[in-house]
Amino acid sequence: MLTPAAMLVLAAPFAIAQESQTPAPAAVDAVKGLSEWDKVYAVFSHPRCADCHVADDRPRWSGAHYGGTRVHAFNVQRGADGSGFGNPGLRCTTCHFSSNSNALHGPPGAENWHLAPAEMAWFGRSSAEICAQIKDPLRNGNRSLKDIALHVRDDRLVAWGWAPGSGREPAPGSAEATYQAIENWAAAGASCPVAQ
Amino acid sequence: MRLTVDGQSFDIDADPDMPLLWALRDLIGKTGPKFGCGIAACGACTVHVDGQPVRSCSLPVGQVSGAVTTIEGIGAAGKLHPVQQAWLEEQVAQCGYCQAGQIMSAVALLDEVADPSDADIDNAMGGNLCRCGTYPRIRSAIKKAAALKTAGL
Repeated sequence: MLTPAAMLVLAAPFAIAQESQTPAPAAVDAVKGLSEWDKVYAVFSHPRCADCHVADDRPRWSGAHYGGTRVHAFNVQRGADGSGFGNPGLRCTTCHFSSNSNALHGPPGAENWHLAPAEMAWFGRSSAEICAQIKDPLRNGNRSLKDIALHVRDDRLVAWGWAPGSGREPAPGSAEATYQAIENWAAAGASCPVAQ
Repeated sequence: MRLTVDGQSFDIDADPDMPLLWALRDLIGKTGPKFGCGIAACGACTVHVDGQPVRSCSLPVGQVSGAVTTIEGIGAAGKLHPVQQAWLEEQVAQCGYCQAGQIMSAVALLDEVADPSDADIDNAMGGNLCRCGTYPRIRSAIKKAAALKTAGL
């Protein structure tokens, strides 16, 4: 039979091993942060958001009715002035008003309908690419992570992504949940997934 | 509610969700703007609100916040708008159904771009469909209208 002291001596190496296997606090935060980022990426990459964050100046249409994603019809573009509000004679707001049309295939609507600035294009990009972009003020509209969280929570055009009207799949979660996920991700160090 | 259309004020009794086109045609009697698709996908119903083109079939009348101009309001009495004049000279219309909308988009284009290139015209007019295929004549007429407008004719 082992004495209590002998048991303590024998157990010590196991205790040390267990301690050495315990992730460091920073590593714990990185894992948590990545899981929070995954929630953010699910929203940012969703068609309701990404379809207007385009690099080729042409918004996209996505949905079951379209058989996949396609370029917006009618030769709709960012606009020769780069504004994102369309071209003279055919602005985004020629068809997109401040509320969703109730007609099948009618135009969706929200206040201030326009494309995201060209430097904020991420349609088709990977999680790692979008993550790096979101942290880069040159490519995120010169925003801090707090600014981005507030933009997602409070902007009325962004909010449309969760209320896109009948027949369109909304972005996952909610504006408030995405705001919280960005806050959690930032608090955990805002780590990004490794590029594949 | 009160609407200003082609320089005149109208009091109408309309549900705010009624499309502007319905109010124009059925309540005010402006039948120049046409119903084509009802989903802002053809441009036949195009009018201006404060000078900007809108598809009146899809704009709820309750959201109209400025002066409305229809095809009936762009030319002064006895004097056609340069776009209308060019449309006649180029004999653009075939069946003519879409032309009120085409002209309103062209007017909006020329209000911002005095001498439009082919690309400017393509970018402005892509949302106005013509099933008769009068597009080459539309392009010619817009260029002629630009010249007429610049010359002050």
